[in-house]
Amino acid sequence: MEDKKVYGVRCKACGKELYPAHALCPECGGREFEPIEIRGEGVVLTYTDVYALPLDYALRYLRLAIVELESGLRATGQLLDDDPKIGKRVRVTVGVVRERGEEKIYGLQFVPV
Amino acid sequence: MGNIDELEALLRPPAMEMPPYPPKVITLASGERMVVRQIDRDEVPILLKAIAPLLWVERDFYDIVAARLFGELLAYKRYRVKDEYCLVGLIDGVLAGIVNGRLVDEEVGMSYHTITIRRGLRVGSHMFAAKMEYHMEILGQKEVLIVAESPIGFRRWMIEYPLEKKFEVPHELGGVPSWTLTRETYFKAKPRLVSGRRPVPPELLEKARTITLPAEETVKAQVLGEKGEGT
Amino acid sequence: MREVAIIGAGMTKFGRSEIGLIELMSEASIRALDDASLGDLRVDAVYVPNMGAARLNRQTAIASALVDRLNLFPAMAEAVENGPASGASAVKNGFQAIASGMADLVLVTGGERMRAVNNLEATDFVASLSHPQAEYIYGVTLPALAGMFTRLYMERYGVTARHLALVAVKNHANALDNPYAHIQQRITLEGILTAPEAVVNNPYIADPLRLYDCCPVSDGAASLVLASREIAEKLGRPVVRIAGIGQATDTHAVHERPDPTELTAVRLAAQKAFGMAGITPQDIDVAELHDAFTILEIAESEEAGFFRKGEGHVAVEEGVTSRTGTLPINPSGGLKAKGHPVGATGVAQLVELTWQLRGEAGERQVEGAKSAFACNFGGFGNNVVATVLRRED
Repeated sequence: MEDKKVYGVRCKACGKELYPAHALCPECGGREFEPIEIRGEGVVLTYTDVYALPLDYALRYLRLAIVELESGLRATGQLLDDDPKIGKRVRVTVGVVRERGEEKIYGLQFVPV
Repeated sequence: MGNIDELEALLRPPAMEMPPYPPKVITLASGERMVVRQIDRDEVPILLKAIAPLLWVERDFYDIVAARLFGELLAYKRYRVKDEYCLVGLIDGVLAGIVNGRLVDEEVGMSYHTITIRRGLRVGSHMFAAKMEYHMEILGQKEVLIVAESPIGFRRWMIEYPLEKKFEVPHELGGVPSWTLTRETYFKAKPRLVSGRRPVPPELLEKARTITLPAEETVKAQVLGEKGEGT
Repeated sequence: MREVAIIGAGMTKFGRSEIGLIELMSEASIRALDDASLGDLRVDAVYVPNMGAARLNRQTAIASALVDRLNLFPAMAEAVENGPASGASAVKNGFQAIASGMADLVLVTGGERMRAVNNLEATDFVASLSHPQAEYIYGVTLPALAGMFTRLYMERYGVTARHLALVAVKNHANALDNPYAHIQQRITLEGILTAPEAVVNNPYIADPLRLYDCCPVSDGAASLVLASREIAEKLGRPVVRIAGIGQATDTHAVHERPDPTELTAVRLAAQKAFGMAGITPQDIDVAELHDAFTILEIAESEEAGFFRKGEGHVAVEEGVTSRTGTLPINPSGGLKAKGHPVGATGVAQLVELTWQLRGEAGERQVEGAKSAFACNFGGFGNNVVATVLRRED
């Protein structure tokens, strides 16, 4: 089965976690990383309802957010919450975030806890 | 109507009672006030004059909208379309936008056209909203059938309201599959799309009594986005 | 290092163009070259900032095309792509070429023809500068990043919709006196904020940002002729010197910044530019900031050092940044109303400031301006170029 999870990386040398992945660790310059799944809970740092959408969306608007996870990592994704607030607790899920013709793209979707 | 002969009476479609559209005034982004009011048949010729130069403007499908609107308004004046109406937006008496449509029957409306003369102030958006307001709140209809001829129209109506597909019904404008505005969608969208105040202060109404046309060059410059274009 | 001056400036009207990209850029170039009155001197290097010709206009290697159209052979030439900061980046390249002695006379012409495609495509094109896996795939666009930034900024610093609207009203008013501006439409606080109709007039684009908080999509080109100071002094006009340039980068994904309300690259670029010029923000008489969104004018004015963090909006409210205030910001109308043909923008900011420093800005002239600052903001703050210009009397 296709892996639909979203991954960041952990530096093998110093343990620093990064999302998205980089080629060099900003902490120690390490070059070797292991994947870490972006999962769990976090809080909404900020969000927007964007009406100026790119291609591939036949919607009126899309709700996007930056979430700070318990691990301290932050991620941008879609916010599936009818009552969004800064500081609100959300959980990471993975779903279809964009469809390009037949192709379905999976990514992070935050839902209220 | 005056006296008409028997043949002419046969050529004219039967007419329904249509309560008139009560005029309203909208404050635009510029602070200018636009009066939206219904016109009667006598005012069609001046509108045709405003539309004629746009027949050859390809940008944003002005040509096709102008051509069809020209025909529809002429048909209204000469009693060759059933239950048509036309609303105009006037800023200090100067024409800013035109919308028109007609009634299919008591419950269903058919939206025709929206043409913006003064661009960049969401005049088109306000005028389209006034037209929907007429169908839903004054005429008390159940739905309005709508199509868009330009991508701008598609974004403004289909996406912004948003309209529902009713593709099984061909629209009068070219037989294109219809979209529909229901009462539910209208009243949900109303707070963010329909605005304006009534009654219109008498001095504003007086200014809006006669339609003045902007200079043809001004219209073309605005329509082509050379001047005063909005965000 | 040799000193470098701006000896020619010109631009096209921003807005919607019916002519092609190269034609547009050559029009701006000819205006700048005419303004410079070079006589027998030949341009020996050409830099052409542009972001989207390959995608929007299906044309590549546009620097060679421009040189050909202008018959500038055998000048060195290259296109410079650095997102929305391409313009000031290319000016920096020109500066380096002259400062190093590699060139004496440089033409920098930026241009973009974005209205060759529809708005959706244009929005998508600009969005492609965001992080492809961590941002773009979610439907992130520049307005979306700006919207999230604004919400946090409002929450933290007490910026309100009114402050943002005041920036828009000011810049639209300034653009009325700029014949090159894309949008020449006065707007009022009533019409975009306080009237009941304002919600319709000024709908959300990326909540809390509304339509009049966002710059339009524009075509346009802007051009500068740069020369060594020795050449500039022989021309017998006021010398506008490029006194300082600073550039800095920041994380690609906005969420990776330790504090997403800080535009660190703006701060660092400005510090470098002021350091090189040997002056401070307090010495600046006029500034052009990259207000692709109204909030950015406020945030950049703080990061650049004109106001303390969280106080930029107060300055707007007090009229400090209006044309008659003590630090006029965006007398040209800014990106907000002058328009934002991305590759041209950084050059156009410096064209405006050159005119301001020479006293040639007409109705929008800031009286007695001697020192000027520009901020050209790439990505969502991941690549920023700051420039300080000074009039040498």
